[in-house]
Amino acid sequence: MPETLIETRDLVKRYGDKVAVNNVSFDVYSGEVFGFLGPNGAGKTTTIKMIVGLLQPTSGAVKVAGYDVQTQSMLAKASCGYVPDTPNLYAKLTGRELLRFVSDLYSLDRNHVARRIDELLRMFDLTAAADDTVDSYSHGMQQKTSLATALMHDPKVLVLDEPTVGLDPKSARLIKDILRQLAHRGAAVMLSTHILEIAERMCDRIGIINKGQLIAVGTMDELRMLDKTGQTSLEDIFLGLTGGAEETEIAEVLK
Amino acid sequence: MNTTNHFSSTHMPDARVLPAVLKLLLLRVRITWNGFRHAKLKNKVGLVFIWLMLLAFGFFILTMSRLLLGLMRSPELGEYVGVDLQPFLASIPALTLTGLFIGTLLTSFGVLLQALYLSGDMDFLLATPVPIRAVFIAKLLQAVLPNIALISLFGLPILFGLGISSGYNVIYYPLVVIAMIVLALTAAGLSSLLVMLVVRILPPRRAAEILGFFGAIFGFICSQMGNFANSFGRGMNMSGEQATGILLRSNTAWLPLNWAGQGLVALGEGRWLSGILLEGATLGLASIAFWFALVTAERWYYSGWAGMQVVARKKTTRSPRQANANLANLASGLARLLPKPVLAIVQKDFLTLRRDLRNLSQLVSPVIIGVMYTLMMFRGGGEPPPGRGEAPDWFMETFRVVLAYGSVGMSLFVGWMLLSRLAGMGFSQEGKSYWMLKVSPVRVGHLLASKFLVAYLPTLGLGLLFLTVISIVQGLSILEFVYSFIAIIMCLAGMAGILLSFGVAGANFTWDDPRKMNGGIMGCFGQILTMLYLPISFGLFIAPLGFAQFFDYPILYGYLFGLVLGSGVAVGFAFVPLWLVRKRVERLSEG
Repeated sequence: MPETLIETRDLVKRYGDKVAVNNVSFDVYSGEVFGFLGPNGAGKTTTIKMIVGLLQPTSGAVKVAGYDVQTQSMLAKASCGYVPDTPNLYAKLTGRELLRFVSDLYSLDRNHVARRIDELLRMFDLTAAADDTVDSYSHGMQQKTSLATALMHDPKVLVLDEPTVGLDPKSARLIKDILRQLAHRGAAVMLSTHILEIAERMCDRIGIINKGQLIAVGTMDELRMLDKTGQTSLEDIFLGLTGGAEETEIAEVLK
Repeated sequence: MNTTNHFSSTHMPDARVLPAVLKLLLLRVRITWNGFRHAKLKNKVGLVFIWLMLLAFGFFILTMSRLLLGLMRSPELGEYVGVDLQPFLASIPALTLTGLFIGTLLTSFGVLLQALYLSGDMDFLLATPVPIRAVFIAKLLQAVLPNIALISLFGLPILFGLGISSGYNVIYYPLVVIAMIVLALTAAGLSSLLVMLVVRILPPRRAAEILGFFGAIFGFICSQMGNFANSFGRGMNMSGEQATGILLRSNTAWLPLNWAGQGLVALGEGRWLSGILLEGATLGLASIAFWFALVTAERWYYSGWAGMQVVARKKTTRSPRQANANLANLASGLARLLPKPVLAIVQKDFLTLRRDLRNLSQLVSPVIIGVMYTLMMFRGGGEPPPGRGEAPDWFMETFRVVLAYGSVGMSLFVGWMLLSRLAGMGFSQEGKSYWMLKVSPVRVGHLLASKFLVAYLPTLGLGLLFLTVISIVQGLSILEFVYSFIAIIMCLAGMAGILLSFGVAGANFTWDDPRKMNGGIMGCFGQILTMLYLPISFGLFIAPLGFAQFFDYPILYGYLFGLVLGSGVAVGFAFVPLWLVRKRVERLSEG
């Protein structure tokens, strides 16, 4: 029986009158890659931020690795790695300094840290730039550095918000391989993405959120059964569930 | 569907420059208006109030100029001071317009660098079919108009006041406005050339950092010049005649910058030929200079901007040994005492503060003021004035004690300035990278402790350094020095606690430029409160000494009471405000 590593129950987030996330409940298990899909402004990033402890839910609960994110936040955060959609790293630290800084935040054993940093830098092809300050990195390099910081403490849970944006095909493939490896080793990986091909090929299960509500969760086969039109591709299922662009409207605009 | 026909029928964009400039300026007006419309009510009221105050200020300068300049015209005053003031009055337009030109030239550099190279809309604008010249002119105007308006707020009322008080011809007034606009635009055009030259040598972001650093230092030194000159220039007396002579010599006709002012006076007084010649020459030269700047800058702008995309940021390589050494230096003493996350945040903050010149400029100011006041103290000798020997002995002795501890006051003042930056903006300086701390398993207590140390340790070092230097100069006794030492340690701790708490309450993580990280009014409240706290806390240390002198108790009692009272209050202020904001720290950056 796989362990439940991310558990959300009736998660709600309100900003004034606006409900960004409305009663969202789902689980992510050890050894699986969970894709979190939704149109722009559907509530993906808000949900993710509540899972990693960046936002306090208005109501509901989140558990990471069995720890409540609100009441046992230190334990939950120690088990979790997070890669945001925009890296926003400390610009005036070098890549190596940044990784060392993160290792100290997680109180990692200093004897193993230097080796771990070298391993991560090599894996992400950042060794040559390791001693340059982050503000000289390209977006892709910053994205890879961000992933390296998330992996520094070998987390049981990894949450990624649009991890492949701005990456070249080689780096995107590398990240996909890493995520698959992590899942094989028993970690839970949750990622949001707009690239449905990635979700379809990589994810064991997929959750679709629209207008703050989780409208579907399941494996690809389970999602196919949900869609009454019998669509086979994730793109068609996604558009069928969330409402796609109307062909007539497109023709009108492009005439 | 045959799309070829549709695309071939696309309208050609309007290649004319002026309509495009107008469109871009109207867009800026709309953005500003939208910003105002969607602002909170208190911000709207504040903005309207500021505008009304500025208008009132302009009217005040106009009235004062009219009255003062009218008074200076009176022959009685000239006879009284023994100087003919008429030539001085005639030189005012030239001096004002020269000031406007140089002021615009200097102040435009920074804003133009920001507007032309560091604003986020350049990709968008250059990808649209808008003439590059229009983009350049619009950016130029957007950048320099606020500065020109600010400079004109002083210049225009003075020149109008002069016109009214001198009864100048009515044509003087519109020509003043035209001359100001033309000279300001020329200065801005030349400034833009300078910007484009600089970005060919330095990456724009680095240039902005260097400019921010030296600009802040220069501004700060200028602001303190008055005190410095008062202290060191007491022997330099200049007569009114000498001052007028210098002003008149600067109003020479050999300087083209003076032509505009001289022409305005000539036209105002009805000397048409010389007025038209001088004014025409000014406008002609300024237009040529502006046109040259425009054409050259336009060419350099595009190539410079395009080049910038390739070398967006210069690589700054740090040797791993250096990084490890940094860690080792700091870690050697503290590592055994502090939890790893605390040490990591302290080290990270020191590295980032040191590496960003824009941060550094804010930190250097207290050092400058400390050095200046220490030098002034050197000159004063730190001894109470002997007076005429009428004061009682106990008063003179108490006065001497207070003066002796004036060194502590100086050190605390320097510390206050540094703490205002380091503690008041301790959290804000994390900016958009704060998420890294927030997702990490760092306890609130550890986070507060690390920010406290980042602010407290350098301030303590600086304060104690000043205390040591000033104590040597003043010849304090060992006991007085040790007591001062303890007073500084405790008072600064309390001050750090207060300022850090207000820094938490007003934390702003959305800035792009470090100079704008203090976005709210909480920082001001913190500074006001510490200005009250400082004399009270320090007073509790030294008041018992005065009482002991007055009531003829052994001075040791005074020291003991001072230590207990002062330290108690300081420790309270170091911890209680931080304890009060601990819950807020957990929710920081959640909007």
